[in-house]
Amino acid sequence: MRRLLRWYGSDPLHLIAMIACFALAAYAGLKLLSGDLVGILVWFIGAAIIHDLLLFPLYAVADRSAQAVLRRRSATPPQVPWVNYVRVPALLSGLLLLVWFPLIFRLVGPYRATTGLSQEPYLGRWLAVTAFFFIVSAFAFAFRLRRERAARA
Amino acid sequence: MASQLKPERVGREPGRVQRFATAHQPPGPFRRSFWRSPVRGPWLTAVFGSVLLVGIIVMFLTGLLSYAAYNPDLPENDLTSDKGLLGFYLFPWPTDPVWLYRFTQGLHVLMGLALIPVLLAKLWSVIPKLFDWPPAVSPAQALERLSLLLLVGGAVFQFVTGVANIQLWYVFPGNFYSLHFYGAWVFMAAFVVHVVLRLGRMVSALRSRSLRQELRTDTAATQPEPPDPDDLVSPAPAAATISRRGVIGLVGAGSLTLVLLSFGQSIGGPLRRLALLAPRGQVIGDGPNDFQVNKTAAEAGVTAAQASSGWRLELGGGPAPQLLSRDDLLAMPQHTARLPIACVEGWSTPNQAWTGVRLRDLAGLSGVPEPATVLVESLQEGGAFSVTSLRRNQILDPDSLLALRVNGAELSLDHGFPARVIVPANPGVHNTKWVKLMTFKA
Repeated sequence: MRRLLRWYGSDPLHLIAMIACFALAAYAGLKLLSGDLVGILVWFIGAAIIHDLLLFPLYAVADRSAQAVLRRRSATPPQVPWVNYVRVPALLSGLLLLVWFPLIFRLVGPYRATTGLSQEPYLGRWLAVTAFFFIVSAFAFAFRLRRERAARA
Repeated sequence: MASQLKPERVGREPGRVQRFATAHQPPGPFRRSFWRSPVRGPWLTAVFGSVLLVGIIVMFLTGLLSYAAYNPDLPENDLTSDKGLLGFYLFPWPTDPVWLYRFTQGLHVLMGLALIPVLLAKLWSVIPKLFDWPPAVSPAQALERLSLLLLVGGAVFQFVTGVANIQLWYVFPGNFYSLHFYGAWVFMAAFVVHVVLRLGRMVSALRSRSLRQELRTDTAATQPEPPDPDDLVSPAPAAATISRRGVIGLVGAGSLTLVLLSFGQSIGGPLRRLALLAPRGQVIGDGPNDFQVNKTAAEAGVTAAQASSGWRLELGGGPAPQLLSRDDLLAMPQHTARLPIACVEGWSTPNQAWTGVRLRDLAGLSGVPEPATVLVESLQEGGAFSVTSLRRNQILDPDSLLALRVNGAELSLDHGFPARVIVPANPGVHNTKWVKLMTFKA
């Protein structure tokens, strides 16, 4: 018994928890997969990797590019680093796009038939909200710059 | 206690395979030095984890309640009919308070939106673990990584199917109700085990730094955490460009943005205009029929001709079926009830003033004054919810109506003219429109 647990690599409670997890997951999983097996598997496994292998590389590369611009533009570190004043509005508007892109890009076929409304306004609204975020951020940056200059004076 | 154990720490010296693997790490993200963020570490992970712990429990409970609200034990109501043991908790859905489903489902959808940035932040926070090398040093670790596949896959599957469904983007591989219900159980199996194994570590990580102190720490003063046994902390962190309070603030701002731009569709009234990007954030007008429509007559295939003066309501289940014209119904005692419409998609309307015949009066008229259920059929031919059932408590509630008028005017065709069912606390799709046949069963 002890040799088995040493081979296993953790204590009996861990093993029991794992078995319970996989038992329930298998019971529900078989019902989940009873429809379009391949389609659902693709969706589920895709769900497991989409952040780490698609979304993260996208925003990490964008972020590192922005930071590289920051470093290249000035030999000395700037009085106030502007990277967060770009990051925050970009991430907020990116988040909204990520959640609502089907409506924003008018991809929803049944929308008008079901609601009686049009998808037409959503792109304009998202652009307006994005502009609002960047304008507020620009003002916040300007105020911060003025405060730093006043502090140094 | 299982929560204090890490599989690879129990009773093993690094074996030959593990030493070989460590000496031959693949390049890129598999090397710990690839990960440079100075704020990534157990503390932020624990902060996001604790928010998700509470939030996911609320999501699961409100989700289970939503399924119960559909009264799936009644004929035609169950869209996940092979649920088996997973329906153990089901109970008759009440009719009181009238805003019950509005509340539970509004909370479900808004909480889901609020958790999206937190989930993304948590995934960011633990991404180095995806590239753990070697992949597994023991069977225990291999099983744990498999359970994490179910956890992450399940979480994203639930959120993606949910968000796609609320904007009517039916791209998922099957019926939403089945996918989302079974997906929830697969996810929860992994979630419970994850919490059991990690709760101790989360609590000790939260205790390792003071929240108040972090909220006072700006970017210049931000230091990396000490090295942790989970290898989340970077061995060679870059200089901080944002503080931990900045990261928490950003995630909070994301949640607040999503909620502020969506809650209007659940509250309705003048606040609906605030829901700029939400699917039901457009105000139609201020006429008596200008509240949100779910499924126009055109989509249901119901024509004005079918709903015209030739329409008859058939009442079955009693000794002899009866046919009632709209005038017959208007001649019966009318009752007005103020009831909302609440959809599984999380939006709802405020209370509308519905006027019509009480369902219990129709039951009495049909010869079944003490019904157990009623099967309601619509003029809509086939399609989801064209036939649904109501339970005894719903039929006998004094505010449950076969509505003929709303807000002082005739029902519009899109809102179910000539007659639609309206029952307190009922999910919107069970308030059948364009009713043609009601069969009461004792």
